[in-house]
Amino acid sequence: MTDKNAVEVVDLVKRFGTFHAVDTISFTIRQGEIFGLLGANGAGKTTTIRMLCGLLKPTGGKATVAGHDVYREVPKIKKSIGYMSQKFSLYEDLTVKENIEFYGGVYGLEKGQIEEKSTALIRELGLENRSNTLTSSLPIGWKQRLALSTALLHDPEIIFLDEPTGGVDPISRRSFWKLIYDIADAGKTVCVTTHYMDEAEYCNRVCIMYQGRIVELGSPSQLKEKHNLPTMQDIFIQTVDR
Amino acid sequence: MQQVFYLVQKEFRQVFRSKIMIGILFVAPLIQILVLGNAVTTDVTNLKVVLFDNDRTPMSRELLRRLANSEYFIPIEVEDDYTKLSQYMDRFEANLALAIPGGFQRDVVRKSAPKVQAMVDGLDGNSAGIALGYVAAIVQKYNADIIMMEPGLRNEARAVRQVKLEPRFWFNPNLESRVYIVPGLIAIILTIITVFLTGMGIVREKEIGTLEQLMVTPIRSWQLILGKIIPFAVLGFIEIIIIMVFVYILFGIGVAGSIPLLLFESGIFILTTLGLGIFISTISETQQQALFFAWFFMIFGILLSGFFIPIANMPEVIQWITYLNPLRYFLVILREIYLKGSPLAYLLPETFAMIAFGLAVFTLAVVRFRQRLV
Ligand SMILES: Nc1ncnc2c1ncn2[C@@H]1O[C@H](COP(=O)(O)OP(=O)(O)O)[C@@H](O)[C@H]1O
Ligand SMILES: [Mg+2]
Repeated sequence: MTDKNAVEVVDLVKRFGTFHAVDTISFTIRQGEIFGLLGANGAGKTTTIRMLCGLLKPTGGKATVAGHDVYREVPKIKKSIGYMSQKFSLYEDLTVKENIEFYGGVYGLEKGQIEEKSTALIRELGLENRSNTLTSSLPIGWKQRLALSTALLHDPEIIFLDEPTGGVDPISRRSFWKLIYDIADAGKTVCVTTHYMDEAEYCNRVCIMYQGRIVELGSPSQLKEKHNLPTMQDIFIQTVDR
Repeated sequence: MQQVFYLVQKEFRQVFRSKIMIGILFVAPLIQILVLGNAVTTDVTNLKVVLFDNDRTPMSRELLRRLANSEYFIPIEVEDDYTKLSQYMDRFEANLALAIPGGFQRDVVRKSAPKVQAMVDGLDGNSAGIALGYVAAIVQKYNADIIMMEPGLRNEARAVRQVKLEPRFWFNPNLESRVYIVPGLIAIILTIITVFLTGMGIVREKEIGTLEQLMVTPIRSWQLILGKIIPFAVLGFIEIIIIMVFVYILFGIGVAGSIPLLLFESGIFILTTLGLGIFISTISETQQQALFFAWFFMIFGILLSGFFIPIANMPEVIQWITYLNPLRYFLVILREIYLKGSPLAYLLPETFAMIAFGLAVFTLAVVRFRQRLV
């Protein structure tokens, strides 16, 4: 972890009509950090991430991602980030190998590079026997890890994961988080949203969002100390309940 | 450009892996050709006709004889009571009623505009038009024969009178509708394939979430659009060729004109349909919505193209509206090339109209698509 900032957000706002989905939030994510965006459904997590990825124009405020402005430098941002959307992001009717090849190609990797990466990736994920089966036939946990790996093909500095473990069994969630640690260890910045509070404990720092606003921000241990509560779960319930 | 290659490759893999798509692309057209080629017939035969002769002269009887002997008509009655004609029509017992008023022969002799009254069951406007066409042709022939018998007329005048024929039947002398329907089918099927597949293809990716995934990659929107339309344009062309082969094998109807020209014109035409597909994808969130919009546009497109209903049979206002329909031009072009073998030089107005519409629709769709991306 360094003290350079991968993401800087100042007074960011997103309005849909008169509804404030994201209401004047500010935070920073340091390079190499695992940053958690927590909150119940509808808190504004996805909207925040989509603005940072250049998928949605903010209504107001400022934000930079990898030093690039979210209003004016979207193409540069796209080159520096990986993104896994809340919805499943692979083609179920393509094989494992074809999915990797496709995303590699779309990210502009060369043919040799794609070949090399896909072999390595398939080996890492233990999918050697399944590289030519349709992605739809993979168990969900494996699909998620494959999706994450394809989002990393172009070696991005920062990676945004929107509820990557939704609907996944606890064992698969653990191995998914192991992968996230590997990514952080490799020096990449991870911004992950979740509403599983046990996962919050795995993050270096978290912010809790409630109705479009940030209501808590800090490391899990700081927050527990501040509220004098034993788990993130308790903190979440308290902050959201008051 | 490399990105476009991968997008196209992906699309083809998906299409050829899906049994439904194979069905839509290759089985459905075969069925459409078989069914429409046989069922949508504009041949109108066995028309039941009631005849009424109030003149009862040799000339009126001769005209009635000719009508009654026509292979298209079955005379059910020769009536002597005019009011009965409408009864036949009301009870749908006759498709057509013809009345020769008193004084017909006298008017013919005096050359003071002799009249024959025809009443046609207009419920089916198409058949009605054709039935009237038959009557007109018979009357025309009758006219011509009378004029020939007349000594005083100059030759030029005769010639002019005689050549006047219903142009609708020129290139389909036996009134075999299939010949006329088949080029239309190419246009319809090509429209369906390109509009539906493009629209649905993009919206499907919206639904499953991969479109969003693609949008965070560095690919440009024009690459994304090319990646979507190239596969469906290619499939469209394959489709045209398949239909032409089917039609030749099944009905023995070949292309009279140049096939490259036909493909060139098709290429211009699908600019509009691909654009429409993209446009539909920008106004739909789900595949159901896309399907609805696609049908919405296509119903108008097809009904106002002259495929089912000849444009000449439409009310004048509607006829003007058909000028805004690119399918109308494409249908003319296809029929010209298919049946008459017309060269490009004869098809320039329609071609330019299609280019104009194609560029306009496509540009608008792409602009809208790009605006919606971010
Ligand atoms: N495109 C949109 N138009 C209108 N409202 C939206 C749109 N996207 C999200 N919202 C609303 O914004 C709020 C926050 O949504 P979201 O960011 O998806 O929450 P989360 O990801 O935390 O569950 C929700 O109430 C949602 O209904
Ligand atoms: Mg969400």
